[in-house]
Formats: sequence, structure tokens, C-alpha cells
Amino acid sequence: MGNRIFRAGLAGITVLFVGMLVWAMLSLIFMPRWSEVVDSTLSEEMLYSIRLSLTTSAVSVVVVMILAVSIGYVLARFRFPGHQLLRTVVDLPMAFPELVLGLCLLLLFGHDPLAGWLKKAGIDIVFSKTGIAIAQIFTAAPYATRVVYAAFRSINPRYEMVARSLGCGQWAAFLRVTLPMAKGGLFAGAVIAFARCMGCFGTVLILAGGTRMFTETLPITLYLNISYGNLAMAMTSGILLILISLAAIVTFEALNHEVVL
Amino acid sequence: MTMLLEVRNLHVDLGEFSLRGTDLAISEGDYCCLIGDSGAGKSVLLETMVGSFRPHKGKVLLHGRDVTDWPPERRNLGIVYQDFMLFPHLNVFDNIAFGLRRQKSFRTALKSEVHSIAARVGIEHLLHRDIKTLSGGEQQRAALARALITRPQVLLLDEAFSALDVASRERMRRLLRELVKELHVTVLHVTHDMEDVWALADQVAVLHDGQILQTGSPEHIFSCPHPEFVAEFLGARNVLQGSVLDCDASGLTHISVEQTRLYSADPASVDHRVQLSVRPEELAVAQKQLPITLRNQIPVRIQGLERRGPLVWITGKAAGFSLEAAVTVSGAREQKLKVGDEAVFAFSASSLRIIASERRYRVPSDCPATLTTPPVAAAERFACD
Repeated sequence: MGNRIFRAGLAGITVLFVGMLVWAMLSLIFMPRWSEVVDSTLSEEMLYSIRLSLTTSAVSVVVVMILAVSIGYVLARFRFPGHQLLRTVVDLPMAFPELVLGLCLLLLFGHDPLAGWLKKAGIDIVFSKTGIAIAQIFTAAPYATRVVYAAFRSINPRYEMVARSLGCGQWAAFLRVTLPMAKGGLFAGAVIAFARCMGCFGTVLILAGGTRMFTETLPITLYLNISYGNLAMAMTSGILLILISLAAIVTFEALNHEVVL
Repeated sequence: MTMLLEVRNLHVDLGEFSLRGTDLAISEGDYCCLIGDSGAGKSVLLETMVGSFRPHKGKVLLHGRDVTDWPPERRNLGIVYQDFMLFPHLNVFDNIAFGLRRQKSFRTALKSEVHSIAARVGIEHLLHRDIKTLSGGEQQRAALARALITRPQVLLLDEAFSALDVASRERMRRLLRELVKELHVTVLHVTHDMEDVWALADQVAVLHDGQILQTGSPEHIFSCPHPEFVAEFLGARNVLQGSVLDCDASGLTHISVEQTRLYSADPASVDHRVQLSVRPEELAVAQKQLPITLRNQIPVRIQGLERRGPLVWITGKAAGFSLEAAVTVSGAREQKLKVGDEAVFAFSASSLRIIASERRYRVPSDCPATLTTPPVAAAERFACD
């Protein structure tokens, strides 16, 4: 009897929460009229927003993956004083509210000495499109690093040692053995990074600003239009973000089933 | 004489596993088995040789040249692990060809080289296969082919057969024996399996707690296990303590063990305390005294009879000590022994070996530690009479 109550209680909590979650998502999808969704999607603002989100996210994912592979490999393979501290620092932005991370980045890139150096080099980051990519990179990198680190950790370092005993240098062993063996984890990391970049809001808002038709990514479109009371546009950007997240999570699960986080 | 592969006073500390002044030398063409208990540092030693770990003290020498700071890819040492470590993203052909793709001189002959070595290890028909579809024995052959194709100076085997079933293990031993002869490969083989030692080794080294305790031929190590650890590790179960009473003109040493007089053919100094060992399979068991040729005849009461495979292990309680004998099933049946019966355990003086413990005992002169490069501590500790 006790066991049945225990099982029923746990199952009840699960069903209740998952039910509410699905209901919330379905309300977003089925609330607007489909003609409104189509019109909103084809509007100039939405097309600009989609294009900007895809472009900045694509660039950011490339940078994020270079960072994730480098940092993930260092954490997985090298032992040095401060190893645990480095892991914690890399993970830290995941626990930050995005707005706080954005504020930190604004202070970093908006003040000297970095702001001065960047100005001399002709690079604008604050309240610019480059700022969107920088915000996305800092937001997504910890997630991708975690996935890639787990992928490298799951590969026995002896594979590399065998490769090196067969004449490969460290770089060649990494390229010919470790990277191909970690490819599932790398794809999964890239997918999760892309989803985080597309959905990045708070960091982008603070660092790049939420300027209509300039630094307007999909989450910013949602935010701006809900502020103006344009619900159809807001819900359309919400639906697009849900679809992107859904595709990302399905791909992530398919690729990442062997990587233990 | 310049050794092919040598480690001198090697110190590596990996926390759980460490090497503490390890010395070992392998001559060209030798097949050396490295044995030792779990955690002794066998794999660490192999991986330090191959270049995985950098020792904080000591040297690794190849042909007398210090390669301690060389990266693994310059050392040309092949390594085969227990779990094969075949690259899962490559098929059998590409796994075997992996090392050759780095060597320009072999690129043109790559295909024929791969087919040749694959045929030699009996997996030519599997070259197109994904490695996940191979059996354990086939994977081990592929790993061996991959290591041998680059013609390494020394082949390092880290418990290479332990993941295989008994039949595959036997086939691999046979194959390896043939390959070693054919290709003149020098091998250092870490193993727990004494059958590997008997079937393959020219030399045996015993590692315990990060130090080489003894090296020598398999016959020497088994017949004359040196310190107490080696004796126990190699299965010398009957380890006794005694005092030397006399050394007679015929060369026999008379030893008192708990008031029982025993005879050993190993020399020792009178009044020294000694540690003795006799292998269970060298004991004869009878219901009454046996011919005088077996100098040691000890009356015992049978305390246990246990069948283990083709042998029956008999435990006999003598005056103040116990002995174990291993006899064939038919031998035990003929004697009609039962627990509680009185019997005689008999063995020759040459079967009773004097072994040493760390400080108190000294070792007879015909039983030296034949260390190729004796560590100073070991040489002092086991100085011969």
C-alpha cells in the first residue's frame, strides 16, 4: 500500500508539471489565428529579426565551438593547480541571470582599457550587431563547453597514447583520433549552443540594446512587440523560438545519448 | 653491454600508483614478462616507457640513449592494451594502416603491408569490417597487427590477453610466439597469468610496490623465489620459519622448524634464522614413511582435502606448522586418504628452498637475484653469503 502511494505520488507530480508545461506551450501555438502568424512571419520586421538571429547565431556557434573544444580539452586532459576553479568559472555564467551577465559584459566592453583598444581598432561592440554575437558567445559557451568536456572525458586517453606510439604528434592524435571519436558530443554541443544563441535575450538586451530593426533578434522582437501590445508578432516570435528549441533538443538527444553530462 | 630498453632509478608518482626507484633492462630479442600484484605499478612502468608519464626522477634509455624527454612519437615503442584500444571510427584496415599513414616511406606500399600483416595474424578476411563487429580475439589480433606494422623497437603488452577466453588466449600465445620469432621483436609483457610466463618469457621481472624485486629466467624465478613477496605471489604456499642447526659434509643444511629437523640443499650459515619454502606440487603424500631418497618426511594429520581442477589439495598439520600438498586425483584416490587420517608428507632436500625476507635473513649463494641492473638497495639487502 505504501509503495503504491509512493509511486502514485511521484507519477502525479510528474504528470501535473509536464501537463502544465505542454498546456502552456500549446496555448502559445494555438492561441493566435494562423493567418496572423503567417502575416507576422512575412512582415519586414520579423524577416529582419529571423535573418539577424540566424546570422549572428551561426557566427557565434563557430566561435563558441572553437572555445568549447579548446577549454573542454584542457579541462578533460590536463591536470594543473586551479583545475577545479577553472571549471567553476567556466560554468558560472550558466547560474547567472542573463541580465547580470549582460551587465558584466557591458562594463567589460564599455569601459577602458578594453573599450579604448577596441575603439582604436575600429570595433564597436556596445549597442552594435557585433555586441549581439559577443553576448551570444558568452551566454552559450559554458553550455557547449560542458557538453564537449563530457565528450572528451568519455574518451579513454589511452587512444591518444596508442596514436602517439604509432607516430602521431599530439596535434595529429587530437585531429585523427580524439575529435572524430567526440563528434557526437561536438554536434550536440553545437546544437545546444545554437539554441542558446537564438534564444539569448537578457545579455543581448543589455550589451547590444533592443533597437527595432537594428539589434532586433527574435527574443527582442517578442519583447518589443509585447511592450507595444502587438500580440500577434510577439506570439509568432515565441512560436518560432519554441520550434527552434524543439528541433535543437530533439537533435541534441539523438546525438548526445552516449555523452554523460 | 648496451641494453635495448632500460629504465634506471625511475620515480613516478600518480597518487594511487607509483614507481619508486624502478630499474629494469631488456636486451634485444628478449621476451620479458613483468609480473606483480595489483597496484604494483606495472602499467605505470609501461606507460612511462612509452612516454605517457614523465618521471620526476630517473631515466628511460633506448639503445643506451636517454629518451626520457622524448615525446612518445619519437620513441617507436608499440603498445597493446588489454581492452585493445582500436579506434572505433575506423574499420579494421584503417586501424592497422594508422601508423603507416604517418610514414612517407610506406605510403606507396601501404595496402600490401596491411594485407601482409593482417594475413599473418589471420584477419585478412576481416579488413573491411567495422571493429565493433569483431570478437575479442579478432580485435586483439587487429591491435597486435596495428602495433607490429610500424616495426616498433619494443612491443609493450599491457595484460594483452586478459580480456580473452581461455581458448583465444592460447591461440594468441601461439601466434605471438611465432611472430616474435619471425619478426625478431623484443617484447615487454605485463601479465597476471603464469601460463603467459611459461609459454612466452625468456626473462621475468617481478614488480612490487613500485620496485623490481627480482629478475631472471622463469625457471629461476619459480624454483628460487627470492624475497617473501615473490614466493607468495608465485604460489609458494608452504613458507616456514626455522633456525640453521648444521651444514654437513654432503652439502645439506639442517634446519629446525618447530622442533622438526628438515634438510635443504641450499647452503646457509649456522645459527642464522631462515625462511623456507616448498612448492605444494613437490610434496609426496603417503600413509607411511617413504624411501630415504626423500630426505624430509614429516608426519602429519590430514586436515583438509579439496579438489581443484585436476589436483587434490591436501592440508596436513605437523608439529607446530601446516603444509599443503597438491597431488593428482588418481594419486589421492590410491592413498585412500580421509580428513583426520595420519599420513606422511615427503619432499627432497633440493625442493626445500631457503628464501629471504627483507632484513633478517640472508640468501644462499646459488640463489642470487639475477638483476640485470641491480638496484643498490636490493643488492645490499640480498647480498649473498
